Amino acid sequence: MRRTAIALVAAALLGLTACGTSEPAASNDASVAAAQPVSLTDARNKKLDLKAPATKVVALEWNAAENLVSLGVMPVGVADTKGYTNWVTAAKLDPSVKDVGTRGEASVDAIVALNPDLVITTTDEAANTITQLEKAAPVLVVRGADAKNAIPQMKTNLDLIGQAVGKAEQAKQLTADFDKALADGKQKISDAGKAGTGFTMADGWKQGSTISIRMYTSGSLLGAVATELGLKNGWTGAGDKDYGLAQTDLEGLTKLPDGNFLYIANKNDGGDVFGGDLAGNAIWKNLPFVKTDKVHRLPDGIWMFGGPKSTEQFIDAAVQAVTS
Amino acid sequence: MTQQETVVPNMQSVPLDAPVRRLQVTGVFVVAVVAIVVLAAVHLTQGTSSVGAGDLVRLVFGQGTDNAANVLVASRLPRLLAGVLVGIALGVAGAGLQSLARNPLASPDTLGVNAGAYLAVVIVAAFGVSLPALPAGGVAFVGGLAAAGLVLALSAGGSTGPTRLILAGSAVAMALAGVTTLLLLLYREETVGTFAWGAGTLVQTDLRAVTQMAPIVALGIVAAFLLAAKLDILALGDDTASVLGVNVRRIRVLTTLVTVMLSAAAVTVAGPVGFVGLVAPVLVRLLAPLVPGLLRHRVLLPLSGLAGVLVVLASDVVLRAAFGGQAGVEIPTGIMTMVVGAIVLIWLARCHRDSGPSRSPGGTSSGLRSRRTFWIVTGVLAVLLIAGTIGAMLTGDALLRTGDLANWINGRSGRAITFVLDQRFPRVVSALLCGAALAIAGTTVQAVCRNPLAEPGILGITGGAGVGAIATLILLPSASIWLLSGVAAIAAVVTFGLVYLISWRGGLSSDRLVLIGVGVSSVATAIITLLIVATDPWNLSLAMTWLSGSTYGRTLPQVLPVAIALVVLTPVVAHARRELDLLALDDDVPRILGVRLERTRLLMLLAAALLTAAAVSAIGVVGFVGLVAPHAARALVGGRHARLLPVAALLGAILVSLADSLGRTVLAPAQIPAGLLTALIGAPYFVYLLWRTRVPAR
Repeated sequence: MRRTAIALVAAALLGLTACGTSEPAASNDASVAAAQPVSLTDARNKKLDLKAPATKVVALEWNAAENLVSLGVMPVGVADTKGYTNWVTAAKLDPSVKDVGTRGEASVDAIVALNPDLVITTTDEAANTITQLEKAAPVLVVRGADAKNAIPQMKTNLDLIGQAVGKAEQAKQLTADFDKALADGKQKISDAGKAGTGFTMADGWKQGSTISIRMYTSGSLLGAVATELGLKNGWTGAGDKDYGLAQTDLEGLTKLPDGNFLYIANKNDGGDVFGGDLAGNAIWKNLPFVKTDKVHRLPDGIWMFGGPKSTEQFIDAAVQAVTS
Repeated sequence: MTQQETVVPNMQSVPLDAPVRRLQVTGVFVVAVVAIVVLAAVHLTQGTSSVGAGDLVRLVFGQGTDNAANVLVASRLPRLLAGVLVGIALGVAGAGLQSLARNPLASPDTLGVNAGAYLAVVIVAAFGVSLPALPAGGVAFVGGLAAAGLVLALSAGGSTGPTRLILAGSAVAMALAGVTTLLLLLYREETVGTFAWGAGTLVQTDLRAVTQMAPIVALGIVAAFLLAAKLDILALGDDTASVLGVNVRRIRVLTTLVTVMLSAAAVTVAGPVGFVGLVAPVLVRLLAPLVPGLLRHRVLLPLSGLAGVLVVLASDVVLRAAFGGQAGVEIPTGIMTMVVGAIVLIWLARCHRDSGPSRSPGGTSSGLRSRRTFWIVTGVLAVLLIAGTIGAMLTGDALLRTGDLANWINGRSGRAITFVLDQRFPRVVSALLCGAALAIAGTTVQAVCRNPLAEPGILGITGGAGVGAIATLILLPSASIWLLSGVAAIAAVVTFGLVYLISWRGGLSSDRLVLIGVGVSSVATAIITLLIVATDPWNLSLAMTWLSGSTYGRTLPQVLPVAIALVVLTPVVAHARRELDLLALDDDVPRILGVRLERTRLLMLLAAALLTAAAVSAIGVVGFVGLVAPHAARALVGGRHARLLPVAALLGAILVSLADSLGRTVLAPAQIPAGLLTALIGAPYFVYLLWRTRVPAR
């Protein structure tokens, strides 16, 4: 009986504290700025019509957020801002940018509360989530990555986002800058007489006594860029169809020819597998590139799946590593 | 126990048979060892590098290359030794635990050791904690021991009876697994790669972990051996053992500690390779009718260890032979042990003659409560349900007030509020309905199987639905809700049909049904993981979310199947409430009273399957409800199904709804899948119930 009473009191209290409303009852807000309408077709082949270029944009994937910042449009909301700060240093977010939840399940409430006029997500998002978001705001869907077409896909995404926020010119400029950086990098490498040298790009983690190594195939963005720089990828295995990544173990590295071994680690992520954990290992010590001291840790915070700005960071780092 | 000593035709009391038996037992050991040696030789020739059998043979004759020697010493041997160590540790630990709990479903997993160890590793990865004093292996070890310690504390060191130990262990394991998945979801980038480890992988970087853990495993095996004679006596029952002068409590505690030590060592080396500890001892026990004397613990324990090694090595060899050396990295060995172990288990379970003692569902001890209690409980729960529903509508990332709700109901709310509530309403409804459906399904399954650990998940129903849904998502990423639900439901019913048909041999034995169900659901889990690893290993978010049971992005049409299932099937189950009461007793009473046993059983299980399938296709896999709600209801209103069913349904609905509301609110804007919080909320409550209904330790 006592439990019933407690429950009833609790219910009553709940009612009391939660009375009133959070907003005035319905009113139609009709404030449309006079600007050029935008019309584009996204990765779903869906036509998107905006009355004006979007200014309040929410990005649910980091490469979209990075593209927005580098186009000069600070997003109002980004999924997992904390992780973004750790992993993407190429385009910094303002402190005012709201966190709208995880990259897998962003909070619809948080997105709606920001009252955005565009939400950008990737084809990895579940269809019904996209449908739901579309009730609140137009949704631009870009393809996360395409292993058959890594660099053009990156440019396409930048281009789409640029159109949607009315920054098509800036997008062209960024693409031109990127192409120039790529050409310059290639020039530097061939000037140093290093054209055609082998490279491999990897990252890795350790759990228990197991080390997982992730190899970047030529289909991955960084693999494709390094190939464009005139380097030769020593890892010839296949990767997944989107991001072009493959897995291997330490023994699998014995297949690699001599060349530059590039890797990315993050100080917030269990530290440095290749530089630390493997130092005393017999197989590792006998790998050709370890013997000739061609193992390079690239700077932290170069996002491996980002836009032109992140990838330019990679170009600089890779050129630096290969020509040093 | 799947087998009682009495099944063995009185061999043990006839001393003349001893030499013959010894010979046969030795024969079994020899066969096992030879098989292991052959497998090990094949195992060494497999790997991701180009080093093959020829290179290794040349190495033996002193003509090998440095590279071959390095690969052998730094990669092949560590992997082989890890497999042997893990297999033997888990096999012995599983055998000890199954004897301790007298339950074929007991395994290192049910003590929460694996879950605790894995969680410790994931925490370290997620928060970037570096513990210089402890190597990564030590972290897993501490986590496993802490989890086991918690379980032991809850079940008074296992001295309060086996069922209680297993139930407390399952609850803790599920809660810990929930936290682990939660961290994996929230710290996606930092913990990528722990996913494979979470299924158990033999990939080793050096011999360090193996050499560190080998002495611990050796110690554990010796200790288990010393306990063997006492465990033989314990198998006769607690009372008998006490009369014969065995300190039951002490033996229980010691056995538990030894098995925990062994399992933690295995997790440290390779992550949670879970199914080995369950399958290995069962394999030996199923062989027992053919070779008398295998059930003596001094035989059973080492032989289970060998069986464990066989399972692990065979899985690894088959995996790499079938898919190439590369697959040995991409696909966790634990997945293969699951598949191989499960297939063997299913095959052997089919030949298994049912003779186990009947098991009453746990918690029935509370007996009948008065009608007044029932009505009070129901009333309180109904009030809680209504309050919970209103609360669920108000909470979330945006906290609302009742006035907003009133406006929304009258269609006078503003744009933002309308949108928020429009998308929140289906989530609330789906949580409520799925909770009720899963609870009813769980109650039914527990009654029919007479097994306190039985739940829809264990019969492979949830797993089957999951496979259907994930396969649909992979083939058609833009699949409509109806297609997804339809395929999931069909897959669930087909899986259940498969389990039922395989276990049907001139009648249905609930033991066999559960064993085969465990096998099939493990295969399903393995297939799901395989599908994810093979198609989209870097984007687990969608799959994990879906498999953790989430109301995220639900729409009203998706809730329809559950609503329909509830409306149609609840009356069917309710109509059979008296038969369920009888089924929960044993097989003979219903027969004597003229209940058409098989028909009722099949009908009830089918109803449970459909209810589960509908719930799974709506919100994914929420496993804990079907286990907890019936137990909690039994503790509140006793074991009569006329009272049990409504109370369990109410409890299930409240539990999932509460979990969902918290998941939407606690870490907002991050969303926590409801299924994870169901485990987190359900487990402590369940543990409290176990505590409340405990019988004083002898």
